[in-house]
Amino acid sequence: MQARMQLLLLGALIRKELTVLLRDVHALGALFLMPIMFIVIMSLALKDIYDPPQFGRAYAVNVRDKGPQAGELMQRWIKMHGEPQALPADPTEALRRGDLRYVISIEPDFSEVVSAPGSPSGVQVRLIADPALEISLFRATEAELSALVGEIRAEALQDRFTGLSTKGGQAIRLLVKTERLTLGLHPTAVQQNVPAWLVFGMFFIVNAIANLLVQENDNGTLSRLLTLGVSPGIQLLSKGLPYLFVNGLQAALMLAVGVWLMPLLGGDGLSLAHIHRGSLLLLLTALSMAAVGMALALASLIRTHAQASTLGPIINVLMAALGGVMVPTSIMPQAMQTLAGYSPMNWGLEGLLAVLLRHASPGEIMQPVLCLAGFGSIMLVAAVILFKRRTRQ
Amino acid sequence: MLQISDLGYQYQHSSKPALDGISLSARRGEVLGLLGPNGAGKTTLISHLAGLLAIQRGCILIDDVPLAELRAEAPTRIAVAPQEYAFYPTLSVRENLQCFGAASRLAGKLREERIAQSLAFAQLERFADTRAERLSGGLKRRLNLAIALLPSPALVLFDEPTVGVDPQSRAFILEAVKTLAREGTAVIYTTHYMEEIEAIADHAIIMDHGKVLRDGTLTELLSEGAARLRLIVGNMAATEACALLTRFGTAHREGEYIVVTLNPGVSPTSAITAVENAGARIEQLDYGHYNLEHLFMALTQRSLRDN
Repeated sequence: MQARMQLLLLGALIRKELTVLLRDVHALGALFLMPIMFIVIMSLALKDIYDPPQFGRAYAVNVRDKGPQAGELMQRWIKMHGEPQALPADPTEALRRGDLRYVISIEPDFSEVVSAPGSPSGVQVRLIADPALEISLFRATEAELSALVGEIRAEALQDRFTGLSTKGGQAIRLLVKTERLTLGLHPTAVQQNVPAWLVFGMFFIVNAIANLLVQENDNGTLSRLLTLGVSPGIQLLSKGLPYLFVNGLQAALMLAVGVWLMPLLGGDGLSLAHIHRGSLLLLLTALSMAAVGMALALASLIRTHAQASTLGPIINVLMAALGGVMVPTSIMPQAMQTLAGYSPMNWGLEGLLAVLLRHASPGEIMQPVLCLAGFGSIMLVAAVILFKRRTRQ
Repeated sequence: MLQISDLGYQYQHSSKPALDGISLSARRGEVLGLLGPNGAGKTTLISHLAGLLAIQRGCILIDDVPLAELRAEAPTRIAVAPQEYAFYPTLSVRENLQCFGAASRLAGKLREERIAQSLAFAQLERFADTRAERLSGGLKRRLNLAIALLPSPALVLFDEPTVGVDPQSRAFILEAVKTLAREGTAVIYTTHYMEEIEAIADHAIIMDHGKVLRDGTLTELLSEGAARLRLIVGNMAATEACALLTRFGTAHREGEYIVVTLNPGVSPTSAITAVENAGARIEQLDYGHYNLEHLFMALTQRSLRDN
């Protein structure tokens, strides 16, 4: 009988929390709209970082050689990168202004030098780039140009000494196959950003719960429930459980944005094909436990709306910056990567990337799952202690 | 019903006790008025009864059962109608009652019945589906009252329930409190307003600095002032007049007034005649008109609304 009453009480308080949340437009916006906006904006903004386009980058050529090898080089480059812009009067200035991303300059003796045996003398092809061109793109363009010059030279020498013309037959790229180990899938901006901002959004419940507790403390409802003999444990549980549901809804919504909305907006689509659904569910549950536990502990510590509005977001943003949400840990220095390993957001993010990109099984994500669940449990114990102390005051 | 003996409490980091040996009792069917200025210890006393503070000294018994024991078994036997609007502003009146009904361990048909009765008692039926934040100040106080009455408590504590409400709502709340007591509930009613205590209380307690200064029925308390003479004299220094009047009782100054509590058997006429014979002129005179405000000022030398 006692247990049934406690369950009824818990049910009524959970229904109250959900009704209050549904009527709080600002909280709904912060919990659902904000992470979705982050996913859309960041995925579209960072699209080229993860998948740089081959065409469409403005470039120009300055071909000062009329020989056949120079013509062949240009023809193949245009085939790969599209038509060049007209060469401006002052190419260097155009690059500085950002009108062009790079200029390829072919010296007058190019065809003669590449067709001659022995070590080539002097520079025959120059690549000059916009100062703002990402270093990775600059290196990739440089490598591509070098490989193409190598092909042209190999074909010219073969033609000269064997008489066998193999135009296009020396395509060195055909000898090399590159592949990133992601089960055939290359990570896209969406695949990186959906997990990142999903983790961030799930931890954003800290603000909602903290503000809720401050409000209930201020308006006397917290005391009223205590006066009626509602234990601190039931009160915390009635706040935590609805937010597990909120976290689940956030996850479903943001994955749906990645799968269906992003392709409609011109971004890449998130692929959930071949992922282990049990792993995803397990990881999201552990992640939600960590987020809810931390939210309850912080909310029990916070006393004013000002604290809730500043402390919550500050902790979230710092955890996100450290945990690889804002800057991928892969490009962090080693020391920062080690530090990132202590952030619960990083455990969640690495776990989600493992599930979405490497199609990890439940056993393979046990480490982040245990870290998140352990962290959540410790935070929950801290929340009970802090909440009891708060009610005694 | 309620018996408090030698209750003491001192907050951490405070040099003075908030409650210093309070003893009082409340009976079913009666309103016990608790009067005192800010800092008197009223809220600390209510917090004890509400189970929000642990007892440091003394004891509280409800029907001879220690408070802690009763609260563990039946926490809803004591209800508090707090000073704040202790409900959820974005929920409707009915949703609030449903939530607190569940918190009061009411379920099913019984809960719906109690909600209907509480709505009727507070005359809130028309506003059942209105969000609490959209109610007027008076209606909010009535919702506070309705929530407190949901579990049919044996003892209800009202903590200044009429602060900031319009005269009609105030009259309604006072009438509701009286009705509640008539129906057999024990009521403790704290307020700054003496006229409210005079209107509804059967017993009154005057508190200050954590102590009970007076405890008695209204008749007993007001009779204390029956032999009190208040006067303003001209043509004579107030200190000189005080010294002269001490022959007839205890005299002290209250602002421009000289207040004399006459000794038994002393007639006010003799005191007035003595003043006039000394060459002074009586400018104002007040005898036999006495209320709780006067008693409070006589006891504490300050107004009820002073901080």
